[in-house]
Amino acid sequence: MHARDRVGLGWRPELAAGILGHRDRIDLVEVIADDHLGAGRRELRALNTLARQVPVVLHGLSLGLASAAPVSDRRLEALARVVGAVEPEAWSEHLAFVRGGGREIGHLAAPPRRAVTLDGLSRNVARARAIVGSLPALENVATLIDPPGSDRDEPRWLADVVAATEAPLLLDLHNLHVNALNFGFDARAALAHLPLARVRLVHLAGGSWIATTAGARRHLDDHRHDVPAPVFALLSDLAARASQPLDVILERDGNYPPMARLLTELDHARRALALGRAQRAA
Amino acid sequence: MSASLEAYLARLYLDADARRAFSADPRGAAMRAGLDDMDAEAVAHIDRAGLELTARSLQARRKDRRGREAGWWMRLRRWLRR
Repeated sequence: MHARDRVGLGWRPELAAGILGHRDRIDLVEVIADDHLGAGRRELRALNTLARQVPVVLHGLSLGLASAAPVSDRRLEALARVVGAVEPEAWSEHLAFVRGGGREIGHLAAPPRRAVTLDGLSRNVARARAIVGSLPALENVATLIDPPGSDRDEPRWLADVVAATEAPLLLDLHNLHVNALNFGFDARAALAHLPLARVRLVHLAGGSWIATTAGARRHLDDHRHDVPAPVFALLSDLAARASQPLDVILERDGNYPPMARLLTELDHARRALALGRAQRAA
Repeated sequence: MSASLEAYLARLYLDADARRAFSADPRGAAMRAGLDDMDAEAVAHIDRAGLELTARSLQARRKDRRGREAGWWMRLRRWLRR
């Protein structure tokens, strides 16, 4: 475990040159594991070289760990190959299901927050640990729909998840913010009830409002907009409440601004962390 | 029975015909999909706005992914991997 908070950026082809040109302002990068599951040796060697120059965490999208259905060994073995070749500091996956009844959903679906999902998740995480060789950090997901069949709120769900799996948390503060907007709860109050001592990684992102044909609105976690102020406030709250060092990653997946603006967002994250740490020390 | 619920949710998110059948008879459609009483009842009270927006968002993502896969970066990667 490193000794200080670090702030970095999601590795994307469109941002690669900017990241490599500003290594002095980017402490770590997060590489999407799924982009490299079919990679040859040359591509994996290149990622390993990257990981020797800058701390790398690998981020999975498609295991579907939070499911009553078992994750296939084939998917886990493909991921294990990438983790083994790249040697990242950590790897992570989402608390989501991504397929059902033979259909690939094509994105992360929030699972029903209940005991039977927790049982499936625990089995899947144990299997992932056995095949990949380490526990993933588990990420809370944003959702446009409150998953039917849920019998607990998100703070209780996340507390149950870390208790059942022993896994660390990747706390996506924008996802928490989005769910608070969509389902009418107070994100800062919810944060206070999360198992914050288990947070290892943090995501920041931005999103936008979308509306139904009847005019009902939901906030979409699209990673195509700047990080909103309430998310930086959540980061300060987290830094004030958690004692362990945090790795904070800014995610951007389109509508790319100039690199200078992304670097400004990273500086904003550092200020938010410093503010929280100062509150903690006071 | 959670696997049945996940399967039915996946179908509702992806299949416009399934959503139409569900709108016409929510509990009946869920039962016919193999859900037990408790899950059928839960799905019958699903957040309709969230369902519409989830379906639309997933459709947009599929379209976006098809566009990316046809783009220069993915074509270059496929060539480098040969």
